[in-house]
Amino acid sequence: MSAPNCLRCLTRPSTAVLRHSIAVPNAVASWTASAPFSTTATAAAGPTKGARPTSQPKRMETGHIRSGRRVTISKSKHRKQAGARGKTPLPGERKAYRKKIQLSNSNALHVHWLSDLDAKHMLDAANVTKVMGLPDALVDQLRAVEAFKPKQTWGFFRKPSTLIRPETVDLVTRMQQAATDKQTLKLVLDGDKLTGKSILMLQAMSHAFFNEWIVIHIPEAQELTTAVTEYAPIPGTDPVQYMQQNYALKLIQNIRKANEKVLVRMATAYSHPEIPQQMPIGSSLMQLANSAKEPENAWTIFMALWKELTANTRGRVPILFALDGLSHIMKVSDYRSPAFELIHSHDLALVRLFTDCLGGNISLPYGGAILAATTRNNVQRSLSMELAIAQREAEQLGAEKPLRQAYIRGYDHRVEAAMRAAQVIKVKGINKLEARSLMEYWAASGVLRTTVDELSVSEKWMLSGNGVLGEMERASLLTMRI
Amino acid sequence: MNARASAQLLRLSCGSRHREKLLRNCSAERGLQSRTTPEFKANSTTRDHLHVPQLLLLSAQRPRDNDEEGQRRTMMASFGQHITGALRGSCLKTTKQGGNGLRGLEQQFTNTLRLGPTVTSRRCMTTQLVTEADFKTIQAAPHLDLNALRLPSHARPVPVSPSYFSRTPRFNDSYLAIQKLLRSYDKLPMIPSTAVERVTWCDLETIRRRLGEPVRASDYSRCLALIKKLHSIHPQMKPGPVKEALEGFKRSVQGFQNVAKPIPIDRFGRAVGVGKRKSSVARAWVVEGTGEVQINGKSLAGAFGRVHDRESAIWALRATDRVDKYNVWALVEGGGTTGQAEALTLAISKALMAHEPALKPALRRAGCVTRDPRKVERKKAGHLKARKSPTWVKR
Repeated sequence: MSAPNCLRCLTRPSTAVLRHSIAVPNAVASWTASAPFSTTATAAAGPTKGARPTSQPKRMETGHIRSGRRVTISKSKHRKQAGARGKTPLPGERKAYRKKIQLSNSNALHVHWLSDLDAKHMLDAANVTKVMGLPDALVDQLRAVEAFKPKQTWGFFRKPSTLIRPETVDLVTRMQQAATDKQTLKLVLDGDKLTGKSILMLQAMSHAFFNEWIVIHIPEAQELTTAVTEYAPIPGTDPVQYMQQNYALKLIQNIRKANEKVLVRMATAYSHPEIPQQMPIGSSLMQLANSAKEPENAWTIFMALWKELTANTRGRVPILFALDGLSHIMKVSDYRSPAFELIHSHDLALVRLFTDCLGGNISLPYGGAILAATTRNNVQRSLSMELAIAQREAEQLGAEKPLRQAYIRGYDHRVEAAMRAAQVIKVKGINKLEARSLMEYWAASGVLRTTVDELSVSEKWMLSGNGVLGEMERASLLTMRI
Repeated sequence: MNARASAQLLRLSCGSRHREKLLRNCSAERGLQSRTTPEFKANSTTRDHLHVPQLLLLSAQRPRDNDEEGQRRTMMASFGQHITGALRGSCLKTTKQGGNGLRGLEQQFTNTLRLGPTVTSRRCMTTQLVTEADFKTIQAAPHLDLNALRLPSHARPVPVSPSYFSRTPRFNDSYLAIQKLLRSYDKLPMIPSTAVERVTWCDLETIRRRLGEPVRASDYSRCLALIKKLHSIHPQMKPGPVKEALEGFKRSVQGFQNVAKPIPIDRFGRAVGVGKRKSSVARAWVVEGTGEVQINGKSLAGAFGRVHDRESAIWALRATDRVDKYNVWALVEGGGTTGQAEALTLAISKALMAHEPALKPALRRAGCVTRDPRKVERKKAGHLKARKSPTWVKR
């Protein structure tokens, strides 16, 4: 009896034997499966009964002696591990953590010599290279307009503070001049990554808040054009324009929160029949802003508010309309029309409003500033915007204007029209004096642990690509050196 | 006529019939027709074997005027005698015995070889016009004494060197020579080993290859010790034989004689250094300045995203506290970011050393002097990568 089995075991692949054995009934299976091991023991044991069949499949899993052993991880272990992972974050929790803005750190040292910024400081060239703290009231306003960005290093220090740069003084002086002349300053901040364009915007907004301007800030232009907010065609427009009601509501709320003091003082000059609430002439603008509670009429109310703010009546103040991420609105958006064609960014009503201001189509009766900052992150190139910036720069320097390249198609006349009237400030790296002042502030806050001398300043300045501010922070604050 | 004769001359070796005809003609010209006798005919077979010396004679002897004729004739006779003697070898004895008959034959033979001036005036075929002056420079070959070359029958060849029977004769000879030299120049003043000119001596493999002998390591090391001792003789006192003997043990390429080309500082105050790492090559122009860096037209931050790479790139300046003393303008290509950054380290440090050679030890301590020779290891057959093996599966 043993001979044929042994022969079979020798001549046929063992797996075939096993597979075959699964199909046959238990008693037979036990016999065939055990055959390769030994014929005698099972034969002696006789037919299995009771608990035996349950143990059989386990034995079959181990297989033929020649097929080797495999490490098998039981399913129960997997389940245990999954259970041990703990609670997963709730929906939106991760994003909230990512977008969290921490503006103070109680572990950081208090810098006793740090003085608070006020309305005149930024106009004075003598304050260049000084680091100055932002007063609490201002911080609240800036926070309301979302001037602080999550990736900036505010959370390293006791209180938010900022370095006064020559660019700051330049920008603020221009703003002041425009307000005095009741002109509209149209300005674009351009520069390499991490050079401090957004911080310069923040300083401009601080100036506006100090001088009781109205500040309207679009912190991330990409939220308007990357098809993440709801949109709808505005009835009665030709060519069709699109409103973004949710975004408009958020914007109104930001404006209301940040500019409360000024809005309360101003009274409406027009009756607004288009808005659902009754708004008699002479009611405060705060009331108008408060009337926006739901997205339904947000766009209408925003336009009503805009109309009031730009009305040529007494008691109005200059306006700062700022937008961060200009590159995102200088291209075709990701939204689609009902005909499933891509919508140009300038057909979105809010973007159109900004570009009209920037292009000089809308002028502010009490003056103000239209401020835009370009971005180098997460954006496709906009040839026309780059060309326009280069042209404006050349104009400012009195150099020869660069022209369109004849064999490239990606130019956009609407973009060029929007940027025709803008001035440009090229933001570059800071000089060594500013770098030193900044590093002294870091050292005083206990964040930087090296002695601040000429050598260490030069080194960080060099590492940061000739004083690129954000890179200096990366090189000295974000890199762990213990 | 002349040309035809010389052409015939060249054809001498082609066949006996031609030669006979020619010889007959020649003798007829010289008025020796009476001697073309049955003797000649009878010995024509013997003469067939002698065509090589004939040619020799013809090329060597050039009769020009009648004045030299007598002298020439005697020379030819003696030469012909020797040649025939040499060719006959052991038949010399029989020649002596044969007496006048054979001698007469020889004489006759040599006489027949004396060609008329018209025939022999040309050496061979030529396209150039040959003048008489050309022949005057040609001298007759000296007398060849074959007896002197012959060894005595009892002599046994003995090797020149007694090392001939050893395993490594050539090495042993040179070793002995070195020993002898050391013995004789032992008393000359030696200089300390630090002051001795550095020389790369042949290693064992090289000396084995050079001599073609299985030189023993221990022997060679002992020999080398002597060589080094000889080498440390004061260079001004070192005798010529010692120098010659040591030359044989020097390697063909002397690394210590390599002198690094100094990097010049050009009229703008720039020094250019070249550095390599992995597959990156960097050229850095370093000039005194305030610490500005431009790499491939970009700032340091633009060129390298990682702060670590930026630090690597300017490490030479940083390690020597020269961060704010120099400006760098560099070009890098090839490889990845790490390779480029570390190629820059080397390039900047080389250029920096051109400005301040005294920084070399500091830079060496900072690891900015030596090129890292590591490269990507090649993939091997049977492996997934250089060393990674495919997953093991049991059959």
